[in-house]
Amino acid sequence: HRVFLKMAGGERSGCGKATSSPAENYQLARRRTLQVVVSSLLTECGFESAEKATVESLTEMIQSYISEVGRCAKAYCEHTARITPTLSDAVVTLNEMGFNVDTLPGYAKRSQRMVITAPPVTNAPVIPKALIAGQKRTHPSHIPSHFPEFPDPHTYIKTPTFREPVSDYQVVRERAASQRRDVERALTRFMAKTGETQSLFKDDVTAFPLIAERPSSIPYLSALLPSELELQTLEETDSSEQDDQTDSENTPVNNLNDDPGADKENSVLLAGGVVPLVKVSEESMIDNPYLRPVKKPKVRRKK
Amino acid sequence: MNRKKDKGFESPRPFKLTHQVVCINNINFQRKSVIGFVELTIFPTVVNLNRIKLNSKQCRIYRVRVNDLEAPFIYNDPTLEVCHHESKQRNLNYFSSAYTAAVSAVDPDAGHGELVIKVPSELWKQGDEMNVLKVYIEFSLDQPKGGLHFVVPDVEGSMAERGAHVFSFGYQNSTRFWFPCVDSYSELCTWKLEFTVDASMVAVSCGDLVETVYTHDMRKKTFHYVLPIPTAASNISLSVGPFEILVDPYMHEVTHFCLPQLLPLLKHSMSYLHEIFEFYEEILTCRYPYSCFKTVFVDEAYVQVSSYASMSIFSTNLLHSAMIIDQTPLTRQCLAQALAQQFFGCFISRMSWADEWVLKGISGYIYGLYLKKTFGVNQYRHWIKEELDKMVEYELKMGGLPVGSNGHLTCPTPHLHFSIKHPHTLSWKYYKMFQCKAHLVMRLIENRISMEFMLQVFNKLLSLASTASSQKYQSHMWSQMLVSTHSFLKSISNVSGKDIGPLIKQWVDQSAVVKFFGSFAFNRKRNVLELEIRQDYTSSGTQKYVGPIKVTVQELDGSFNHTLQIEENSLKHDIPCHSKSRRNKKKKIPLMNGEEVDMDLSAMDADSPLLWIRIDPDMSILRKVEFEQADFMWQYQLRYERDVVAQEESILALEKFPTPASRLALTDILEQDQCFYKVRQGACFCLAKIANSMMSTWTGPPAMKSLFTRMFCCKSCPNIVKTNTFISFQSYFLQKTMPVAMAQLRDIQNLCPKDVLNFILDLIKYNDNRKNKFSDNYYRAELIDALTNSLTPAISISNEVRTVDNLNGDVRLILEEITRSLNMEKLLPSYRNTITVSCLRAIRMLQKNGHIPSDPSLFKSYAEYGHFVDVRVAALEAVVDYTRVDRSSVELQWLLNMVQNDPAHYIRHKILSMLGKNPPFTKAAESPLCNEALVDQLWKLMNSGTSHDWRLRCDAVNLYYTLFGLTRPSCLPLPELGLVLNLKEKKAVLNPTIKPEQGPDTTEMTGITMGGLITMETVSSVSMSSGVAPPPQGLKRKLDSVVGPLGSSSPEPGQVLQEEDTSKKFKIRVRISSAEDEIDMESPHDSQAFIHHHLNILERPSTPGKEPPAVDQAVLSLPVTPLPSSFGKESTSSSKHSGDHHHHHHHHEHKKKKKKKHKHKHKHKHESKDKERDSHAFSNSPASGRSVRSPSMSD
Repeated sequence: HRVFLKMAGGERSGCGKATSSPAENYQLARRRTLQVVVSSLLTECGFESAEKATVESLTEMIQSYISEVGRCAKAYCEHTARITPTLSDAVVTLNEMGFNVDTLPGYAKRSQRMVITAPPVTNAPVIPKALIAGQKRTHPSHIPSHFPEFPDPHTYIKTPTFREPVSDYQVVRERAASQRRDVERALTRFMAKTGETQSLFKDDVTAFPLIAERPSSIPYLSALLPSELELQTLEETDSSEQDDQTDSENTPVNNLNDDPGADKENSVLLAGGVVPLVKVSEESMIDNPYLRPVKKPKVRRKK
Repeated sequence: MNRKKDKGFESPRPFKLTHQVVCINNINFQRKSVIGFVELTIFPTVVNLNRIKLNSKQCRIYRVRVNDLEAPFIYNDPTLEVCHHESKQRNLNYFSSAYTAAVSAVDPDAGHGELVIKVPSELWKQGDEMNVLKVYIEFSLDQPKGGLHFVVPDVEGSMAERGAHVFSFGYQNSTRFWFPCVDSYSELCTWKLEFTVDASMVAVSCGDLVETVYTHDMRKKTFHYVLPIPTAASNISLSVGPFEILVDPYMHEVTHFCLPQLLPLLKHSMSYLHEIFEFYEEILTCRYPYSCFKTVFVDEAYVQVSSYASMSIFSTNLLHSAMIIDQTPLTRQCLAQALAQQFFGCFISRMSWADEWVLKGISGYIYGLYLKKTFGVNQYRHWIKEELDKMVEYELKMGGLPVGSNGHLTCPTPHLHFSIKHPHTLSWKYYKMFQCKAHLVMRLIENRISMEFMLQVFNKLLSLASTASSQKYQSHMWSQMLVSTHSFLKSISNVSGKDIGPLIKQWVDQSAVVKFFGSFAFNRKRNVLELEIRQDYTSSGTQKYVGPIKVTVQELDGSFNHTLQIEENSLKHDIPCHSKSRRNKKKKIPLMNGEEVDMDLSAMDADSPLLWIRIDPDMSILRKVEFEQADFMWQYQLRYERDVVAQEESILALEKFPTPASRLALTDILEQDQCFYKVRQGACFCLAKIANSMMSTWTGPPAMKSLFTRMFCCKSCPNIVKTNTFISFQSYFLQKTMPVAMAQLRDIQNLCPKDVLNFILDLIKYNDNRKNKFSDNYYRAELIDALTNSLTPAISISNEVRTVDNLNGDVRLILEEITRSLNMEKLLPSYRNTITVSCLRAIRMLQKNGHIPSDPSLFKSYAEYGHFVDVRVAALEAVVDYTRVDRSSVELQWLLNMVQNDPAHYIRHKILSMLGKNPPFTKAAESPLCNEALVDQLWKLMNSGTSHDWRLRCDAVNLYYTLFGLTRPSCLPLPELGLVLNLKEKKAVLNPTIKPEQGPDTTEMTGITMGGLITMETVSSVSMSSGVAPPPQGLKRKLDSVVGPLGSSSPEPGQVLQEEDTSKKFKIRVRISSAEDEIDMESPHDSQAFIHHHLNILERPSTPGKEPPAVDQAVLSLPVTPLPSSFGKESTSSSKHSGDHHHHHHHHEHKKKKKKKHKHKHKHKHESKDKERDSHAFSNSPASGRSVRSPSMSD
């Protein structure tokens, strides 16, 4: 168990760290030990030889397993506000992972087990010193001294390393303007390149190309209706200001429509049929000859 | 004369129309045709009513029945072809008189018409009992060129999906173009209107929609309208289309219609209509007279606003969204005009053309009151000044503009190339100025009798009319709904007790304006202001003013009004000054409005207490004032006078004083946001002019630059304009104007300063509208205009070809902006394509200044049908300009082609008026363009090519006048040749019975060209015309007029009477050649026969004692749908009509010989009646050539 845990803990600590060469050596040594373990287990099971890839896979599996046990055990221990895992943590973990702990003593005492040499002693990797860029803060008086020290100031004080984004009004405007201009120019050039053009110069038709005009069958529509872009702008600018207004305008109308209109609505519907609901209610509200339903011809009429 | 006629209205017709049914069964958008019938209910007012004259143009008439009996008819429209083709006559005097004669010959106000129906003799006998007659006419219209306009967009889908629509239009009384009627504003009747249209369409017409019924196949529906208020046919209209319907949320009896997809715009644009309603109803203390009101917005409208009984048709381009600033006031103004005309113009109609000014005047006046209330007093006074200036300028240019009453009928107008006796012969510009003057005169009347009385008069007219209109079965009462000058003046004198006769005489009957020149000196010893007011009353268009005039003097001690009497010989007026004190006393100076202000008085003359002087500050005379005062006085006036008119006057005056003090005064005004924005806009342009004059001494940055920076640019970065908000409209307008004015600045090399150009380019670059709830399209367009303004002629070494390489650097930048903006418009079009319009103008300017090659092809492509109308007009303007500058006959032909063929009437009109404004050449100068072919083409255009549109024909006449003048164009071969030839022909063709056709024209007032021959032929004409007894009522009117104390030398009734004779003569003359043709015209025909044979009959005398008129062969050979290109007519009519021309040529010859005698005679005759009239003027008048009376009547 000790070994287990130690290994697990070691693996864990080895994991997140940046790979430095002593740390690598340490890990390689552990890994080799694991390989030996796998090999001996295989031998125990009666294998005479194994492919390297298989051994490697099994090693990977066992390493994962041990790492997981270690991680979980650590989690349990931290959950109970301790910093060192105890046996019970490991037991709970193993149970959690579906391993029957009771079988473990029997297994440990099996006869045919092979003794493995201890892993070679390698220096545990040196935890690189944290960068000390300034004076650590001392605890304020209300914090007991046993609590961990403050980390180095640079870890919590903003230390910008990128260039400040431009917020100068002039530059922003300048950029927005040139960006818009570039986009417009590129777009119109593209349109001019891909479509028909008219030219102001006879010698060089490509200079100042004008997108050819195209007569439209209903020219007033595009000239009078606001473009989508404008509508969008309008919505954006209006959404805040005019919401109240439209609300107050709408509600009374709706109320009016709902109450007395209901009866008539039905009757008209029966008569007319096709007209949409809301319209009908308005129609019946407002007695305007243009909203009245069209009459069916009288048979007598023509004769 | 009218006003002395107390008896009220007398119909020129021998019957009274009481009711008319118009039923249009079928409207075919594909073929652009219309089929229907009308039924007129008439009561004869004479014992034997034989003939009924109605108006109808271009309609194909299938059958006419009177009380179920087939009735023969004649259809003759003399306005189709005014003079006949083979004539070599090309002088405008001749044309004008012939045209006036033609129009008068069918003038409904004189009881005439194109369609003459013979009442079947069976009914004729019953006539004694004064039975009601029902005249039923079946007709159709095929591809109408006038009266109805079809808009059928060329896209996929059904007609409704395509947005196809049709609407009626016309200038003045033009209803005869689309159904037979009595097309007079004075013949009122009730109406029943039925229109059967596709089920997906809506038919909007006058009156109340009673019901809508499906046809049996359910594919169409019939709209039934009833108009119970007696209404003139000229006020009936129709529009049919797949309209979207909006019931006005405030007034449910008001309905708005627009074309598909535009409903959101309609909702916004109509959201304030109820305010206009309320306003008018309140000031007139009278309900809106009709039970409903409809507004219809159509594409390709003839005019922006046209009002008909209970409905108005508008141009769809008036619609706008809430984002548009500039269009909003314009649209409101149009709505207000339309509504004012509903009261005065539609509900209240007029007795005769001479009374038109009253209606136009009142509607214009109450519209002005609306302007004042809605847009403020400043806007109102600005508008009045603008209208006055426009009108004065026109009168001085054209030499007089009589608007009404006697003026119309008697004023000789030799200076005009058109007749003003009839609305259909008027130049469009004249008509606009006429409206302008009419409302200005109303304002003068208001000044005289007070607004309260004025409104009481209107109320009285309206309540009389509405009482009359409710008299359903007493049609004789309906004439109360007609206003005349007389009844109007009577109401005024009843209500106010004041006689405004002299005022009317001066401004309505008499044409011309007053031109004052003022100057002053201050007499220190007497402490008196010696004011000198001189008048110019000798140059054309001016008259002498005698009477009171108000002068306002601003002194140190306050503002004082003085009323001076302008008398015959007194030029100088001594005005004692109130201020004895000098300026030592530091105290505030009281202004006219009671405000007291501090002024820096250091600029003024130490000896004089005068700050400024104004002559006629209230514009209570139709005048032009040129006043001389020192520059500092103008500056004080600009800074401290609170009246916008005074401020605008001083801005104009300061242009002549380019001094630092003027500069300061203008700059101060620019900065004052209390000041009216239009004054500030004016100050911008004045400042630019001053800066240019002060070029060498100007210090500091270019004018207005720092001001603009301070007002509209960011505080932190002064070269960048703030993002747009446009919350304050005043600043918005200023922001738009300043760059345009700045671009007019020039440096010593006469170039636009580099600073300014870069500044404008930066404005364009940094323009940012993302956070704005208003559209910036007008602003951006004006920035392009500013670029245009900055252009100066390119320096060219020789006539080198303009290439990209030798493009000037600045111009390159400008051109880049323009191309980019124009291209962006294709992707994101702006409202009304304002930016395209500005870009086109800019490109033309670049071409004109020689920066880029001059080439009209771009403009021609933009001018084609299918672009937005504003774009087309801008492009056409460029082509017109190109035509002038490059003297291109190809482009001129192209333009004239478009005048003949373009589907949009407005464009045709616009081309001609732009050509008139910017003519390719004028009569004064030689030009290769001026050749015989062009003369013939234009002649043809006005002679027969424009018969479907009164306005267009008058435009063509205008252009002809601009290009060739009144006399024979100089480019034609010598007239003598043609003359000799014609004379020969004449001898061969003419016989004594034919001659009299000119007879009625014989008077002492005949125009110069007419004179000679006419005197020679008097004898024969007398014999002929005396055979024709005038109808009794005509006689009565005639006598009235002669008795009239004003002694107008050419009373209308008399003239009209003669015209009738003329038309008869036409028939007489023809009869000889084609007597046989009449025979089978007698019996009734089935409709088939009517289509294929062209029936014209008139056998029996219509009025006892009249010569039996005969059928003109020309008429017979005409298709029933008269088309200008009727060749049959040419061939047959040539021989007879050549007579006409011979006469005229003849006149030419005899002119000199006879003129003296002629003149003498004239004088002799009229001296006693009207001493003031200039006899020469009479004999000169082309119009008076038609104002005739038969010799037997003249004494």
